[in-house]
Amino acid sequence: MALFGSSEKKPEVKTEFMFDTDSTIDQSTLAKDVKINGSLESTDYIDFSGHLTGTIKSSTINLKPSSYVKGTITADTITIEGEVDGDIQAKDIYIKSTARIKGNIRYHNIDIQNGSIINADLFYSS
Amino acid sequence: MDENNISMDENNTESSDDEAQSIPLDNDAKAVNIGTGVRVDGRIEGAETSDISGTLTGTLKSSNINISNKGVFSGDMSGQEITISGSVDGEINSDDYLIVNNSANIKGVIEYASLQVSYGARIQGTLRHRGSVQSYTPVTDDEVKEDLNNESQEGDQ
Repeated sequence: MALFGSSEKKPEVKTEFMFDTDSTIDQSTLAKDVKINGSLESTDYIDFSGHLTGTIKSSTINLKPSSYVKGTITADTITIEGEVDGDIQAKDIYIKSTARIKGNIRYHNIDIQNGSIINADLFYSS
Repeated sequence: MDENNISMDENNTESSDDEAQSIPLDNDAKAVNIGTGVRVDGRIEGAETSDISGTLTGTLKSSNINISNKGVFSGDMSGQEITISGSVDGEINSDDYLIVNNSANIKGVIEYASLQVSYGARIQGTLRHRGSVQSYTPVTDDEVKEDLNNESQEGDQ
């Protein structure tokens, strides 16, 4: 279902790519030019800078300044620096000054930095 | 007239040893101070600074509004600089900045230009950002003309 925009073909590099096998964090990083239509799911940590239409679910989600998400976001902790149009649900939500949000926000703890533009309904859940 | 001044003194009870002391009683500062345990029903307008530590039900229009930890407000409030540490049920309209501290409990509609919410605050309701349009400054005709002039001058040289 998911469509990854891997349009950029990089020239082949001879050096061997090393995976950090000792890493305890399963971190996914999705770059700026990634476009997803569908769902993105992880059990650990997602660093997202691309465009997504659909759902995104993880334990920790970091939406970077260039990110755009239209749809549903569910996580334990979400940090938003980009643009969101849809439903956000998390225990802890951190909204940074560059964020632009439209939709519904369901939270237990919320932190909003000034400068952010939010047009949303807020629901506190214990 | 003196009787009014005396009745206002009720707010400044011995127990309030905080900022209330620093405000002189005779002032033209258009200050409103509703102390802890004081209940007010009605409409306050034209105030410069409003410190609410008691209970206020009604309408509040003031440049600066501060709802302290113990303050309870229900109704409509509008102002430029608003700080909320207590509980609010109703509508908040802030022209300039709105600060919501972690002890705040807000229910209702919030219209704001600049909003800062501390981790721990409870907000149940609608957030509306105003000034999304204001932040966009269109290029005026004069600026365009100036640019054109500059370009033509550069061309001459």
